[in-house]
Amino acid sequence: MVSLKSHPPIDPTLPTWIADLQHSAAAALADLSMPSPKLEEWRYVDLGFDVGTFGMAAKGQPSSLDIPFRSEVGALAVTDGGIAELVNELPTGVSFGSVRRSGEDYVAERFGAGIPGGRDVFTAIHQAFADDGAFLHISSGTAVAEPFTLEISATQSGMISLPHLTVVVEDNAEASAIVYFTSEEDVEAVVLSQVEVTIGKNSHFKLTVVQQWGDKTRAVADVAYTMADNATGTFTEIGLGGAYSRIRFDAKLVGNGSHMEIVGAYFGDSDQVLDYRYFLDHIGVGTTSNMFLKGAVEDDAESVFTGMIRIEEGAQKANAHQTNRNLILSDGASAQSVPNLEILANDVRCGHGSTMGPLDKDQRYYLMSRGLDKAQADRLQVKGFFEEALVKVPHQQIRDELRIAINDKFVAAQSEGRV
Amino acid sequence: MSLALSVRSLEAKIGDLQILKGVDLEVPAGEVHVLMGPNGSGKSTLCHVLTGKDDYQATGAILVDGVDVSDMAVDERARAGVFQAFQYPIQIGGVLLGELMDEMAEASPDAAAFRARTAAAVETLHMEPFMDRAVNDELSGGEKKRSEMLQLAAVQPKIAVLDEIDSGLDIDAVREVAELVERLRSPELGVLLITHYSRILRYMKPDRVHVMIDGRVVKSGGIEVAEELESSGYDELRKRFGPRPVDEEDDFLADL
Ligand SMILES: Nc1ncnc2c1ncn2[C@@H]1O[C@H](COP(=O)(O)OP(=O)(O)O)[C@@H](O)[C@H]1O
Ligand SMILES: [Mg+2]
Repeated sequence: MVSLKSHPPIDPTLPTWIADLQHSAAAALADLSMPSPKLEEWRYVDLGFDVGTFGMAAKGQPSSLDIPFRSEVGALAVTDGGIAELVNELPTGVSFGSVRRSGEDYVAERFGAGIPGGRDVFTAIHQAFADDGAFLHISSGTAVAEPFTLEISATQSGMISLPHLTVVVEDNAEASAIVYFTSEEDVEAVVLSQVEVTIGKNSHFKLTVVQQWGDKTRAVADVAYTMADNATGTFTEIGLGGAYSRIRFDAKLVGNGSHMEIVGAYFGDSDQVLDYRYFLDHIGVGTTSNMFLKGAVEDDAESVFTGMIRIEEGAQKANAHQTNRNLILSDGASAQSVPNLEILANDVRCGHGSTMGPLDKDQRYYLMSRGLDKAQADRLQVKGFFEEALVKVPHQQIRDELRIAINDKFVAAQSEGRV
Repeated sequence: MSLALSVRSLEAKIGDLQILKGVDLEVPAGEVHVLMGPNGSGKSTLCHVLTGKDDYQATGAILVDGVDVSDMAVDERARAGVFQAFQYPIQIGGVLLGELMDEMAEASPDAAAFRARTAAAVETLHMEPFMDRAVNDELSGGEKKRSEMLQLAAVQPKIAVLDEIDSGLDIDAVREVAELVERLRSPELGVLLITHYSRILRYMKPDRVHVMIDGRVVKSGGIEVAEELESSGYDELRKRFGPRPVDEEDDFLADL
């Protein structure tokens, strides 16, 4: 078991930049415990586990990738935090691999800088114990069309793993990555992951996460973007698995004219809890953001979306929109949708909308009047519901696989009589 | 002569509001009938009750090719041969017309034949560009009606109920739709074409014209019934059969 109160002595062979992080996070950890649902950021959910009862996983040594899409240029497998570079045909100007093995200064500067280690017990555990991570570095002026891929998996029940990805995209560059989160159905693991992304001037980075944790895995992911002038960040998550899966996402639109695009599609069944907390901070002038998330829940599943858009005083001409639409497919299922705006500037355009409800009756009537039975009509309606989000997934090469995964999930619910 | 559709003493209400007050109507297979009537007389309600929409409590008999469909669910009725071209076709975002046609083929008794009819109709109706677009999403009025006609041609129902298939169309499109209906004529199909203007009748030869006032079919006859209505409007009929005083603005001629 991890002792949350007394951190083991810090490994003297660690580079100082990791040792320093561990030090301060360990100090923060001593005062932290499982978050209370009374805290706004943890409202609406019952986590249903105590991280203190889990041990720390031994790092895996992955030797193959088991994901539907793998990059031709660079692919990593991260098993229980152990990293292997399995496809390594990197274009010039790109580094992609283990933080520890790289030894580069720019990695040292960025590693752990995006997410406060003492924010909650999970970020503190991550930073107090993580001693390696993956990093992707794109040099100035480099554009790579082919996405990089990472398969992040957990295999050990009762254990915590700490996958970490640091992305640095320098100026005038462009790249993208697809991350798969996977574990087998019976693996009762806890995964505390961190992804930090820094995007330079006029650069563009797109990240798509396909979350397919097994039904007993609990996962808390912290994702943070920081953007320079005219940078564009894209973050997409397709949430399918997990007993509990959370994403806390923070974007800092620091640079003037920077833009953040967020797309989400999630589908919870049985007693899954899917928990999304988006925080967008508009700081620069003329910053823009778009958030578009579609979620469905059936059986006893729960979903939470909270979106906080903050427009700082100096962020004139900001333009921010968030949309969250929810489909409630069973009586026992529930969704929370809480869009929020905090506007400190006076010349801005902001909008938000959220909806919640069952499948549309008129659509069902129309489809059935064409001879489709109810099950067929429902499948088509669910497909149509998610399609609006899936067509926005920037990696179109995986859209079909996502359509199939969503349809399979709904068909399973139909055949088991849950919807 | 077999009857594609036979409706007897059909009543329908929604909550306490009685909309259909005893409709009797027969459409023999092979014929095209027209149902006219002022706004609010119950024409669309009749379509939905025939289609089986469960918002209405309906009583009376509905026979399609001799089979009583009145206890059937919407999809069973469709498979029994009822097809409605909607006055306001429902938009289904994220579902392509091509996908819908595929699902309809799967649900039909002979998927291969359905696909062949679809392919032929896509060509005659010039619908290729619409197959990759969402169902009734961001289509003009005329495009929606063509999409309904495409589905009709592919389905090959026993009774086709076309609810204001001509409304919102310019005169060329109205002629096109009329010609299509004439082209779909077959000894196996009965058509009930609902309209509230008579202009579509200039381009087609209906076998019979019925007039609905206040939830009842009050008059039936040949094309002369429509011609009379064109010159005198619904007033006379409404005075005799309607529940409320005549409203000048709702006059038939005002629609022309
Ligand atoms: N769903 C409904 N709820 C309440 N009233 C309805 C509903 N559908 C139809 N009606 C009423 O029934 C009458 C007939 O409507 P409708 O069948 O649409 O007429 P038409 O198609 O001939 O114009 C109208 O007075 C209309 O307001
Ligand atoms: Mg009508």
